[in-house]
Amino acid sequence: MAVEGVHIVQAAGFLGAGLAMGLGAIGPGIGEGMAAAKACEAISKNPKEAGLLTRTMLVGQAVSESTGIYSLVIALLLLFVV
Amino acid sequence: MEDLGLLKQLVITIFGYQLTFNIETILMTWLVLGILIFFGFMTARSRRIIPGPLQAVGELLITQLYDLTDDALDKELGQKYAPMICALFMFLLLSNWFGIVPVFEEPTKDLNTPLSLGIMGFVIAHYAGLRAKGLKTYLGNYFQPIFFMAPLNLIGELAKIVSISFRLFGNIMGGAIIILVVSHLTYSVLLPPFLNAFFGLFVGTIQAFVFTMLTVVYISVQVK
Repeated sequence: MAVEGVHIVQAAGFLGAGLAMGLGAIGPGIGEGMAAAKACEAISKNPKEAGLLTRTMLVGQAVSESTGIYSLVIALLLLFVV
Repeated sequence: MEDLGLLKQLVITIFGYQLTFNIETILMTWLVLGILIFFGFMTARSRRIIPGPLQAVGELLITQLYDLTDDALDKELGQKYAPMICALFMFLLLSNWFGIVPVFEEPTKDLNTPLSLGIMGFVIAHYAGLRAKGLKTYLGNYFQPIFFMAPLNLIGELAKIVSISFRLFGNIMGGAIIILVVSHLTYSVLLPPFLNAFFGLFVGTIQAFVFTMLTVVYISVQVK
């Protein structure tokens, strides 16, 4: 089977999807871990405010997660559209 | 595996224009709306001082959401916007939970649903800001530090729509794809139910909450 240009483009797309997802997941992972660590510290200092702290932590984590979601969308585009 | 990136679409041509309908999304949205209306009707049908089981569930949900809105906005504005927030949260929650029923699909798996909800929240937030601050202060906020920051502020506001809608879409779509791929890899009944529980119930609840919370936060940022 001869390798044509289409195959190379598709292979590059798959490679790019993997790279985008793998590299893009580093930042949100570190960020969410930091947020969770700080929230744990704050709850241990002030256990009465646990509900509010958990809520704030979840919203903050979801916001910092958005870069990971962008890379997921890019990876999906590379997989299914290119 | 073949239905991974597939959307069931109905294309109608009227006067040379092509109208495209995503059949599955529309049907599932109507189903969610029907179930929600039925739930609301059943909970409010016979209201008593000592609540029945359904009324207790409804009251619990509504009280929590009203408290949350009152915390973020002020008491007066919170009462005004709480019904919208309750409706948004319940719609998103049921939509995200829909995928655990085998034949059904989440309406939020299609980008059109989160995008329209995000634009709705954006418009409501800016309308609330316009009402609360007046036209002059509202427009002045765009030129906040110095006057040539206006394009950046405008792009920052528009990026909110993209971020809020793509977050919900990416989470639900990614979960669905992972469930599909793992189900095809393993052929077992052991692993996919746990994945369904995690991505459908847990992530779905958190994302519905986050979407609602962020809409409230956008409104409160505009109002203050």
